[in-house]
Amino acid sequence: MSLLGFFQWCERSGIGDTIRRSSWLFPLIEAIHLLGLGVIGGAVLVVDLRLLGLGLRRQPTAQLARDAQPWMIGSLLLMGITGGLLFLSEAIKCYYHEAFWFKMASLFLAIVFTFTVQRKVILTGETRLRPVWNKVVALVSILLWSGVGIGGRWIGFS
Amino acid sequence: MQIRLLAALCCLVLALCYQATARTAAPTWGNAGRQIHVLSTVSLQTGAGQGIGGSLFAFFSRLGDSSWSVGLHESRYAYDLIESVHVWTLCLFFGLAVMFDLRLLGWTMRSVPVSEVARRLLPWTVVGFVVMVISGTLLFTAIPVRSYQNIFFRTKMFMLLLAGLNVWIFHSGIYRRVGTWDVASVPPRAARVAGALSLVLWVCIVLSGRMIAYNWFDCDRQPQRPIINFLTSCAPTQSEEH
Repeated sequence: MSLLGFFQWCERSGIGDTIRRSSWLFPLIEAIHLLGLGVIGGAVLVVDLRLLGLGLRRQPTAQLARDAQPWMIGSLLLMGITGGLLFLSEAIKCYYHEAFWFKMASLFLAIVFTFTVQRKVILTGETRLRPVWNKVVALVSILLWSGVGIGGRWIGFS
Repeated sequence: MQIRLLAALCCLVLALCYQATARTAAPTWGNAGRQIHVLSTVSLQTGAGQGIGGSLFAFFSRLGDSSWSVGLHESRYAYDLIESVHVWTLCLFFGLAVMFDLRLLGWTMRSVPVSEVARRLLPWTVVGFVVMVISGTLLFTAIPVRSYQNIFFRTKMFMLLLAGLNVWIFHSGIYRRVGTWDVASVPPRAARVAGALSLVLWVCIVLSGRMIAYNWFDCDRQPQRPIINFLTSCAPTQSEEH
């Protein structure tokens, strides 16, 4: 099956059809999706601001990252589920929309970056790493997650 | 500083809510001024709002005709860009406010003193809030009359007022004694209640904010239930009622 074929199959699915036919399901799912985005934003920013030396400076970064992690993963799951539902209802539109591909690329990079490079830097600790690397990692993280959020918003603009 | 800012916002929202009780006509072509005021004394004095100023509806009608509003509305990218800023800043403001509320509930960062979270994170929420208000005002300016009569917009403004009130009560109440519970992994009941209330209110504000985009209850979509027309200050013409 080609990629477009897969997208067409998604569009034809029963779930996608149900969401398309309801006047309030899409808005509701989308609003929950937006809440998830906000919570991810908070969990990411608590850690990134700390890495930038701007937030909770007195706390060890590794501890903050551990505290924020369940909220980040939780809302990531919520966003995955709600985002998947939204996608099913308008898969073909997404296929032809640059913002969708931009968002998916950002999302992939953001998740990989957060759970590999960023995690490594946080666990290495401040003393064994030049402080500038903490800042670079934080900025890249903010940039990638912003790409996800803003890319997502632009899927809605035609 | 935060308190003063929030107090100013509360006043603004209160004024909006007060004015929102004025019933106004459905915006039809060339008939933007017909309105029946219930509570707005200012408008009564200026004669049913037909004069200069008088009511928010007249003000927003004129705002909608301004080059600013038309420019924002008709520009290819301005509206989309401002909305992107609004959504990005939502992460900064709402996200960090949620993290603070979760700390108040004892659900995250339990080992970090509450006052430290407040001192380090709340200034960022203030920055976020200012950007939210500016970008939100611009979004409103792009389609003022429609937004003003939108039931979700009104709900959002009302809940903003409640959220501001909650912040004020928290900071002038239990937070004054934060020294006695600063390091508690689970703060006292009053602080938890403030955190939970804030969480619920901001979630509802985000939800209703997102729903402003939908026109289910808009004034130009008649017939609506009387309660909806009351809440949106919409007075449909006779022909629209059927």
